[in-house]
Amino acid sequence: MTVALLVNGRPYERSVESRRLLVDFLRHELQLHGTHVGCEQGVCGACTVLLDGEPVKSCLMLAPQAHGHSITTVEGLAGRGELHPVQQAFRDAHALQCGYCTPGFLLGAVALADRGVALEGAALREELAGNLCRCTGYQNIVEAVERYLRQAAAGRRDG
Amino acid sequence: MKPAPLEYLTALTVEEALAALARFDGNVRLLAGGQSLVPLLSMRLLRPMAVVDINRIPGLDRIVAADGVVRVGALARYSALEASPVIRERVPLLAKAIPFVGDRQIRNRGTLGGALCHADPAGEMALCAVTLGARLRIVGHSGLRELDAEAFFQGPYTTALEPNEMLETVEFPDGAGTEAVVVEHARRHGDFAVVSVAATGLRAPDGSWRWMRIGLGAVADRARYARRASEGLAGTRLQPADVTAAAARCLEEAGPTSDVRASAEYRRHLVPILVERALEDLARRR
Amino acid sequence: MDKLPWLGASVKRKEDDRLLRGSGRFLDDVEETLTLHVAIGRCPYPHARIRSIDVTRALGHSGVEAVLTGQQVVARTEAITALRPFAGSAPTAFYGMAQEVARYEGEPVVAVAAVDRYVAEDALELIDIDYEPLPHVVTVEDALRPGAPQLHATVPSNVVVESTVRAGEPDRRLADATVTVEGTFRINRVSGAPIETRGVIARWAEDSSTLELWASTQTPHLLRAQLAHCLRMDETDVRVIAPDVGGAFGLKIGVYPEDIIAALLAIDTRRPVKWIEDRTEFFRGAAHAREAVHTLTLAADRDGTLRALRDRYLIDLGAYHGPLGPPLLTNVMLAGPYRLHDADIHRRVVLTNKVPMGAYRGYGQAESNYVREVLVDRLARRLGQDPADFRRRNLLRPDELPFKNVSGVTYDSGDYARGLDLALSRVGYETFRARQKESGQQGRHVGVGMSCYVEFTGYPSSAFLGRGGARFGAYESVTVRMDRAGRAAISTGVSTFGQGTETTFAQIAASLLGLDPADVAIHRGDSKGTPYSVGGFASRTMIAGAGAIEKAAGQIRDKMLRIGGTILGVDPAALETTTGVVRRRDDPSVQVSIQRVSEAAFLGYPLPPGEDPGLEATAYFDPPSSAFGYGTVVVQVEVNARSGEFALQRYILVHDCGTQVNPMIVEGQVQGAVAQGIAAALFEELVYDRDTGQLVNGTMVDYFMPTAADLPVFELDHLETPSPVTPFGIKGVGEGGTIAAAAAITNAVCDALAPFGVELDRLPVTAESIWRALAAARAKG
Repeated sequence: MTVALLVNGRPYERSVESRRLLVDFLRHELQLHGTHVGCEQGVCGACTVLLDGEPVKSCLMLAPQAHGHSITTVEGLAGRGELHPVQQAFRDAHALQCGYCTPGFLLGAVALADRGVALEGAALREELAGNLCRCTGYQNIVEAVERYLRQAAAGRRDG
Repeated sequence: MKPAPLEYLTALTVEEALAALARFDGNVRLLAGGQSLVPLLSMRLLRPMAVVDINRIPGLDRIVAADGVVRVGALARYSALEASPVIRERVPLLAKAIPFVGDRQIRNRGTLGGALCHADPAGEMALCAVTLGARLRIVGHSGLRELDAEAFFQGPYTTALEPNEMLETVEFPDGAGTEAVVVEHARRHGDFAVVSVAATGLRAPDGSWRWMRIGLGAVADRARYARRASEGLAGTRLQPADVTAAAARCLEEAGPTSDVRASAEYRRHLVPILVERALEDLARRR
Repeated sequence: MDKLPWLGASVKRKEDDRLLRGSGRFLDDVEETLTLHVAIGRCPYPHARIRSIDVTRALGHSGVEAVLTGQQVVARTEAITALRPFAGSAPTAFYGMAQEVARYEGEPVVAVAAVDRYVAEDALELIDIDYEPLPHVVTVEDALRPGAPQLHATVPSNVVVESTVRAGEPDRRLADATVTVEGTFRINRVSGAPIETRGVIARWAEDSSTLELWASTQTPHLLRAQLAHCLRMDETDVRVIAPDVGGAFGLKIGVYPEDIIAALLAIDTRRPVKWIEDRTEFFRGAAHAREAVHTLTLAADRDGTLRALRDRYLIDLGAYHGPLGPPLLTNVMLAGPYRLHDADIHRRVVLTNKVPMGAYRGYGQAESNYVREVLVDRLARRLGQDPADFRRRNLLRPDELPFKNVSGVTYDSGDYARGLDLALSRVGYETFRARQKESGQQGRHVGVGMSCYVEFTGYPSSAFLGRGGARFGAYESVTVRMDRAGRAAISTGVSTFGQGTETTFAQIAASLLGLDPADVAIHRGDSKGTPYSVGGFASRTMIAGAGAIEKAAGQIRDKMLRIGGTILGVDPAALETTTGVVRRRDDPSVQVSIQRVSEAAFLGYPLPPGEDPGLEATAYFDPPSSAFGYGTVVVQVEVNARSGEFALQRYILVHDCGTQVNPMIVEGQVQGAVAQGIAAALFEELVYDRDTGQLVNGTMVDYFMPTAADLPVFELDHLETPSPVTPFGIKGVGEGGTIAAAAAITNAVCDALAPFGVELDRLPVTAESIWRALAAARAKG
């Protein structure tokens, strides 16, 4: 069957097997390798993408379901240019080590910023609980996202 | 872990969905949020000939308060329920339960109807449905039928839905003015409940509770409305003796089993503790 | 030596740009045309005879290119070797695939290579395998019972090896001691569980008759050596490349059965063959870790002076001895930071029908710390002494170091009591007992627990390893090469798996060569074009790698001074390198750029007479000693004595890891290790059902890895005492955070519940296990 969708603002139309997981479609049909597979059970969150701006686990969707939708992957953040502010925040806070879980966290943080939510501490940790990290112990990730959300909120205030 | 071959169909109306169900004669699954279904497909624990995507059926996700009830479409997603002022004000138990469900990503896709039809004995939505005495509206080729939540859940992952039927709407009593609390013990955040307790009630101006409804999750083959415990609290002020009595009655309703998360004995031990915790929380509300 | 400008600098990581953009190249991101994808059929039973396999229908399935069975694998390969064979170990024949008997749930039994993974899994379902289930054992006690099934004909009584370490006169000391306490402790079976599972791509290069393997590995060179041996090939004909690795923690070391399977399929089909482990396979195939049962005895005088230690322990190895097998540091570090001269440590490594054990962060140190520090607290309590005072009495003082412990290793330097005192002051220990009493009066149970550790980092020379029969050395190596623009490139066999080596190696080289770290490129993880490397594990890479870089950079710098001398007409002895230039020490205006010097090297002119062109050096560094980090963890908890529920209120780690090359990276490593320590202490356990022998919770849903919402904020304090025995005083830093979590938390819970006389003796610590311990304490009266 055919699936037509936007990914990172670009239109794609592809023929796809019904049972193809969305994450496999993004990675292997569209060659967007930044979204990662960690469990295929919807627990680790490494496969997180934005579907119409909301974070979802792409291992929990069949590719045909994405027809007509708009997906953002990590590749859609910086493009070829400068790092996106969320990426810069992660770099500054040393919020990544092996980097495998990182794209999922980045997109989740961007969605939070878009919702205008400047969470911190325990409330933020709950929001991030859908993404597992095994390298960092989360502390620097929380710091990076807090800093990024504060910046984003200030940016909005200042117009 | 990749799904076995299957056909993917999209239904744009309830009739189309029902037609697809009939066509595959039971060897088919409705795909709503997919948060429970897709991993089962990937692990090949389920091998339907087809899945029918119902996410595009318009109007199946509405949340409407009218006639003393709140009608929630089966396709309403957790995130929409979380954000809904109608739910917050009129079905506060649902609002309290949703933070315990999964995580942000799962709540962006998972649906109320999907959760109820999946019928996990530890599921928070089923717990809310039986606790609140919700009515489930089911559509099939023979038309519409309605079931009380308690009758809908028949066992672990088993409901009264016939193969060619679909859950359409869930009707909750309008709970404006009620108090609600959910207490849970889990092995980690967002994980399946080891024991869950839902409690909701209406307080009279004199401080007594007109009625109280308590539900227990993860301690039986399905969510349980603790009828005796609940009825025993009507008219009380949730004094310590009332609370203790209710907790003991709840324990009588519980029939937990052991699994990797906890033993049956520990679950039994927790039931009265969590019931007391929930009721004490309500008692403290002004 | 000149000042090192980039040592101790929290330079932002070079790895980050690509990883943040999603341009990291992990194993599954490597895609070649015509690749075949592998799905592996695995034994569903803990122990079974494979009576027959019929692959006819699978071979006929559209899209299937090849099928491999155990008979072919065993006929064509050698068994997997141990990287650290322990003298006297009975061999277990661990092949790439089971042929007649499968010995653990998950052992490969058949493999299909097809056009994609979906089709390969379809084809697996068309394979008919007739299993005859055999009696199984999934606990060490069952494995040792008379009449237990013998899992390998070569291993009588299922004991792979038995060993004893003795020092002093432990029997006499134990008999004479005023007080002895004994405890039996069960340590949980866990998995390092990186977010990226394992994976391999094998390709047979027809033109050169060589095998090329991409692998998510910490040890490209060791994997290469082992794989060549298994495939009966010359090492020269095998190349292993590690792309970016999504976490490893010790379980991606050496060769696995799937590497062999992929290689054979690649050789047979002449196409690239890719296997990506899914998470269900992962829990049934990637190395398990830590499971052990200890019966520990500690003896002390009435005044609280520790006198002797006796341990009888069993390690649950699983069904085979893999490349690394059982952890070896349990023995080595059991005595910890205490003044002990008398010890008797007896170990048995036992076979069970479970996934083979391998290394996991700490390599036995978390286990030994847990049993010892929990028993130390019980001993202190028995003597009526404060656990901090008891420890202070027995901790080795700085002036007592270097100190050779009962296991024969020498602690180089450290101030253990200082670490303890700092951690305790952080938690406010002086006033804690008063606060505890006050809380108790309100019906709340708070407690503080502590755990002190010394940490073994790095290996003390290849000779030490070689004498012990190891199949790898203690060294690291690099090639450092300058280009004509005056920039450096380091080639290293070490792969990138989160530890920041690309950045820290660049920092050291830049410091020595007068460059900016941005001007030092790192080529890593490829066995081709890099000198022999051991790999990233055992907290050794920075120590050994820094030494190698120092040597290589030293050679290059000396040559730069010689060439600079020729260009400037100055005696090289009067010159120095500093950022970007070679210049006269006493007249800095007399200088030439490093770029110009490099260019001269590549033009071959102007050079000193007799000097060869080029500006590169390869160096190996073999550390003569291990370095010992140390630290203390102090935890404050509150426990609900009715339900067993508890909360970590404070988690404090004070540690000394020696000179920090990049403090930001050090802190990240420690935080990550602490998280894993807490995870193994409170959340995780691989559970096998005794009756069915099945792994009950081998899924991400049921193996409880903590989320951000489950972990507390860590309070970390870093002390920095340079090691006297390593390059730049560096100590390893990757594993320490895992060591003391379980003991500190256990001790804190027991402290909170001291009025009830609770003792905890198993991991993980959960609300239920605390509830059971409370019930047991009540029953004991």
